[in-house]
Amino acid sequence: MKQIIKIVLSLAVLIAMGLFLFMPDSKPPNDGKIRLKYWMVSAMKEQPFHVTEFNRTHENIIVEPTPLPWNEHEKKILTSILSENPPDLVFLVTPVAKWATRLALTPLDDLIKRDSFDSTIFFSALWSEMRFKDNIYALPLYSNSYAFFFNKKLFREAGLDPENPPKTWDEVLEYSSWLIKKDEKGNFKQMGFIPTYGNVQTSIIMAWELGAQILSIDGAKVSLTNQPTIEAFNWAVNFYSQFNIKDVSTFIAGFGFAEQHGFISEKIAMMVLDNSFPDQIKLYNKNLDYGVAEIPTFKGYAPVSSTGSWWLAIPRGAKNKEAAWEFMKFAVQKNIQLTEAERQKALLFPSNKLTANNPAFLSLNESNKIFVDLLEHSKTPTVVPLVHDVFWREYMGAQERVVHKIQSPFDALKQAEKTIQIHLDETIEYDNYVRSQVSIK
Amino acid sequence: MMPWFIGFIIFGLYPMIMSIYYSLCRYDVLRIPQFIGFGNYEKLIFEDPYFWISISNTLVYTVLRVPLCIIGSLLLAVLVNNAVRGVKFFRTIYFIPSIVTGVVLSVVWLWMFNPQFGLINSFLAYMGIPGPLWLLDPNWSKPSMVLMSVWSIGGGRMLVFLAALQGVPKHLYEAVDIDGGGWWAKFKNITIPMLSPVIFLWSVLEIIFSLQVFVEAYIMTQGGPLNSTMFYNLYLYNKAFNDFEMGYASALAWLLLVISLIITVIQFRLSKRWVHYDGVTK
Repeated sequence: MKQIIKIVLSLAVLIAMGLFLFMPDSKPPNDGKIRLKYWMVSAMKEQPFHVTEFNRTHENIIVEPTPLPWNEHEKKILTSILSENPPDLVFLVTPVAKWATRLALTPLDDLIKRDSFDSTIFFSALWSEMRFKDNIYALPLYSNSYAFFFNKKLFREAGLDPENPPKTWDEVLEYSSWLIKKDEKGNFKQMGFIPTYGNVQTSIIMAWELGAQILSIDGAKVSLTNQPTIEAFNWAVNFYSQFNIKDVSTFIAGFGFAEQHGFISEKIAMMVLDNSFPDQIKLYNKNLDYGVAEIPTFKGYAPVSSTGSWWLAIPRGAKNKEAAWEFMKFAVQKNIQLTEAERQKALLFPSNKLTANNPAFLSLNESNKIFVDLLEHSKTPTVVPLVHDVFWREYMGAQERVVHKIQSPFDALKQAEKTIQIHLDETIEYDNYVRSQVSIK
Repeated sequence: MMPWFIGFIIFGLYPMIMSIYYSLCRYDVLRIPQFIGFGNYEKLIFEDPYFWISISNTLVYTVLRVPLCIIGSLLLAVLVNNAVRGVKFFRTIYFIPSIVTGVVLSVVWLWMFNPQFGLINSFLAYMGIPGPLWLLDPNWSKPSMVLMSVWSIGGGRMLVFLAALQGVPKHLYEAVDIDGGGWWAKFKNITIPMLSPVIFLWSVLEIIFSLQVFVEAYIMTQGGPLNSTMFYNLYLYNKAFNDFEMGYASALAWLLLVISLIITVIQFRLSKRWVHYDGVTK
C-alpha cells in the first residue's frame, strides 16, 4: 500500500511539474494590435514621452515599456535572447559593439537603406558608436555632454575673477592652489580641483586633447604608452606631488550623491560635470553661484569633451522587427526629442543635432549652448568597444597605481596596455571563430 | 526520490558537467563555445596576475578571519556559559547582530568605516587617535573586512560552542579542582580537548566560507583600492557576469574547488593530532 501511495505521489508531482513547465504564457487581448515589449535600463517612475506619444499616435501598435535595474540588465537581456523570447526593443547605454559582437542585436542596414533614413541628424561621435564591423545595429536616442563647472562664490573668496575661469590645465593647477582651505588640524575643508573625483576621467580628456590615438583604425591594437596619455598621467602625478594622497582620499570619502556631492556641497570649486548638473544644482543647492565653461586644455590644443550614447536596438530573434523600427524612427525625431527635453528633469541630451541646436532647446538652460558646442568636439568613452569593461578597469587601475606612486605613468600604462591587448586578441579570435562556424545574417 | 533526482540532474549535475566542459572553452553564453583545451587553466596559472592577487588576498583574509571568529565565538560561549543572572538576555543580545544579512551589514559598515564621518574614526578622534582610511587604504582594507566579521561572533558558532560546553561532564572539572588546578588548567586541559571536534568542524567550515568571501567586497569596495580586496569569488563573478567569460569563470570555479579540497584534506590529516572524540584522539 505504502509503495502505491509513493508512486501516486511521485507521479502527481511530476505531472504538476510538467504542467508548470508547459503552461502557456498569459496571452494579451486578441485585438489585432501589435504589442512591443520595450526593455529600458532606467529607473523611470512614469512612461517616457516618446512612448506615450507613440502610443497616442499609432493605433495598431502598443509599446509596453519595462524598466530594468542597471545591475541585472545584461543578464536579463542575454537570457531572454538565449531562450528565444527577447523583447522587441532595448534601450541601453553600454557599447553597441559589445552587444553586436555577441550577435545579440539585429543589423538595421536593410531598413535604413529601404527607408533612406537620414543618419546625419545625429552627432557624429554618437553615430560612429552605432556601427560594428560593416553593420549599423542601433539608433542613438540620448547622449550626455560634459563641461567645466566652477564655483563663483569660492572664486571670489579666493581673490580670483569669477568671470574668468581657467582655460588651460596649468591654470587649473594654479587656481587650485588658491582655492584650498584646511581646518585647524590640517584636514582639507575645501579644494580647487581633484583629477580623480567625478564620473568622467579628466586624464582621458587630457589625452584626447593632446591627440592620443588609443585604438588602431582596424580596432586590433591598443596603445596606452603613447606620449599624450603619458603626458595626461604626468599631469595627475604633478597634481598629487603637492598633496598627500591619503589626505585627498579622506576628503573625497566624505562625499556622496545629491546634497553630498563635492561640487554641489561647495567643497570642490572646479569640476568637469555632465549636463544633468544644472538641474541637480537647482534641486539640491539652488543658491549655488556657479558658471559653466569650456573644458580647459593644454596651450595650443583645442578642447575636447566626452560623450556617451543611450541607444535603441532590436535584439536578435525579436518578433516585431518592422513595428520596432517604426518606433525607433519615431523616437529620434526632432520634435519628439524637443518635447521630451522640455518635459523631463535631470536632462539626458538629445542625440538629434536638429533638436540640440534648436533655439527652444538652447533656451531651456543657459549652459546648453556650451554643452552642444562641446558635443561637436566630443569623443566617446567607448575607447576599445570589444573589451570596454576590461579597458576601463585597467585604465583606472593604472591611474590608481600612478597616484599612489607605486608605478611611473609609463610602467602603469604599459601593464594596462598588455592586459587589454591580451583580452582584445582573445575576443577577436573568438569572434572570428564564431563567424567561421555560423552564418551571420 | 524521483522528483528530487530529476531536479538534481537538471539543476545540479547537468550544470556541473557542462561547467567542466565550458572550463575548456571560450564561451560567452550567447555564442557557440570554442574548445581550447586547458588554455583557460594555463592562462590562469601562468599569465593572469589577478588570479594570484585574488588567491593571495583570499588567503590573507582567511588566515586573519578564521582564528578571530573561532576564538571570539569560543570565548563568548565560555562567557555566556556562566550561570549568572540575566545570562539568557546576554545570549540573545550577542546573537541578534548575526541575523543581519550580508548586504545590509556591508552598507552599515561602509558608513562605520568612513574615514571622515564614520563612527569608528569619530570615536578614535575623540580619544585623540588619528584613525586610518580603513577601506580606502590598501593596507587596511582586508583587516577592516576581518574586523567586520567580529559582528557575527555571537551567532550560530557561539550557540554550537555553548551547546558543546554544556555537554562537558562536570566531574572532569572537579578532577582538576581536586588536583589544585585553576581556570586556565581547566580551559586548557578539559574545555579545549572536549570541544576539539566542534572547533575542528568550525575551522573546516569557516575556511570554506572565507575562501568564498564575496558580498562585503562586492558592496563595499568592488575589489579596490589597488585590488587589495579583489577576492577569488569577486574575480570569478566579474569574469562571469561583467566580462561574460563563462569558460574562464568555470575554470576559476573548478580551481577553487580543488584549492578548498586540498586545504580540507590537510585539515583532516592534521586533525588526528589534536582532535579528541569522546576523549580519544583518532
